[in-house]
Amino acid sequence: MAAARTRRGPEFRLGFGLVRFLYLALFLIFVLAPLYWVVVTSIKPTSDYLAIPPVWFPAEPTMVHYTAALFAYRGLAGLINSLVVATATTVLSALLGTLMGYSLARFNTGGPHLSFWVLSQRFLPPIAIVLPVFLLYRGWGLYDTRIGLILIYTVITLPLSVWMMYAYFRQLPKEMEEAALVDGCTRWGAFWRVALPLAVPGIVVAAVFAFIFVWTEFFFALNLTSRKAFTLPTIFRAFLGFQASQYGEASALAVTSLVPSIVLGMLVQRHLVRGLTLGAVQG
Amino acid sequence: MADGVSVNGVAAGRAAPTTATSSWVDRHIGWLLALPAVLLILALSIYPLIYSVWVAFVNYDFEIPGHAFVGLDNFADIVSDPIARRSLVNTAILSVASVAVEFGLGLMLALAMVNRFRGSGLITSILIVPLFISPVIVGQFWSLLLQQPYGPTNYLLSKLLGEPVAISWLTQTPWNFIAIITADVWQWTPFMFVILLSGLAAIPPEMFEAAEIDGATRWQTFIHVTLPLLTPIILLALTFRLLDAVKLFDVIYVMTGGGPGSSTYTASFYLYQIGFQQFHLSKATAGAWIFLILSAIIIAVLVRRLLRPEVR
Repeated sequence: MAAARTRRGPEFRLGFGLVRFLYLALFLIFVLAPLYWVVVTSIKPTSDYLAIPPVWFPAEPTMVHYTAALFAYRGLAGLINSLVVATATTVLSALLGTLMGYSLARFNTGGPHLSFWVLSQRFLPPIAIVLPVFLLYRGWGLYDTRIGLILIYTVITLPLSVWMMYAYFRQLPKEMEEAALVDGCTRWGAFWRVALPLAVPGIVVAAVFAFIFVWTEFFFALNLTSRKAFTLPTIFRAFLGFQASQYGEASALAVTSLVPSIVLGMLVQRHLVRGLTLGAVQG
Repeated sequence: MADGVSVNGVAAGRAAPTTATSSWVDRHIGWLLALPAVLLILALSIYPLIYSVWVAFVNYDFEIPGHAFVGLDNFADIVSDPIARRSLVNTAILSVASVAVEFGLGLMLALAMVNRFRGSGLITSILIVPLFISPVIVGQFWSLLLQQPYGPTNYLLSKLLGEPVAISWLTQTPWNFIAIITADVWQWTPFMFVILLSGLAAIPPEMFEAAEIDGATRWQTFIHVTLPLLTPIILLALTFRLLDAVKLFDVIYVMTGGGPGSSTYTASFYLYQIGFQQFHLSKATAGAWIFLILSAIIIAVLVRRLLRPEVR
């Protein structure tokens, strides 16, 4: 690791000194500008929105928009729904994903077809799923319920959970489980007592990615909920074609929503490449 | 650790002598473990898809009881709808343009960041932040920044260019396309960056040393050493990104609402309008099937070929 840090790698051959520095600086500004602007907008008094030139930082910061976003726009209800739905989905998805990932990794269940079939679910166009699910949910009484949302989100996050755990279990050595089998353990026992405890770090990472996915998801929540089970991102419907008077509330809600997922994202930063490619690339 | 485990294992083995049930469980353990996930996918993805085949061939209307069989009418409606074709073209333009820009910027970031320096950890952490933000909120960000006349973008451009700039970024073509692509690029360039960075970091340093000894210039090294070694991961990153980019919906919904008129409709947004705003559910479902089949062709060609060598 230390060697990798000090080695003369591609950068030595491809580095551009000043150009590189300038590019990084510009890109950082590009990334940070919207974040800065939304935070500043969320604490500006309403009178500052229509100022030209724009107010870069308010003379009198205010928290009124947060109160309005949480109560007048039902942000708090959305926050609670998001929390419940994302937590339940995460637990369910991690559980089912771990079981199936182990099955694929150790018993090669269904050959390559089953694993590819699960993966292909990840790439289905959401609109193709949400239309029939909307119709079926209306018949089943699951439309605009948290349960309905939890179930469909579990299905959508399963390719992620299954494939991340599949990749994780394949790189765990089999020897300890084999020793347990020789000692008279059942296969379930070998999974439960030996493999599962070793897989906890992998499960946590897969679970965090599932949570972030659900927390930030908009399309399914938009079409499968209305007044009861609506999640935080769907509240942005209220700000469509939005008026200057709503900038503060929209921004306050945005800040409220993005802080938890960014914090979680930072926790799994080291595993980001695995999460983004469903374990296909070991970052 | 290993000792404790085997002791437990023995204890468990003795406590539960091999019965017919447990040996049946042992023989079918693979399928039993996979079953809950498989059943849930069958119930909430495969069954709805099969159900939607039926919906696509009838006239499903909340107002009209009984769902009359209409054959291929719904499909014909979609195929003959000029807005549908427009949406498909928009989807192609927006996804290809976004992914191309994201790839270029992401590759440059990866090259700039591959060797660690003081503060590079912090910079990486900042660069990946957009990946953890809901696309609806990203759309909101850029709506705020690009707002005419009160947004800061036009103001700064005016100062920079020394003349008044009054671009209606969200309602004026081609600026609305540029605004949408900007939002997408802001969110997803980090995706390209982190994947390409991990690909670059995996190239053995000897390859570069060998090129150096052979007297290759930086550009030659990049073209003949770096790029070929990076090709598999470049293809993987492009495929993953492209398959998500064609689903583009959230940013359109927030920033332009498909407008002005239907000029920024994407396939997903068009089908959403038909299905969930106009409630032509059968027509939307037929369109969704056409879209799904087009996507499936991309998946079959790209993903299957790509993931095999990487995974197995």
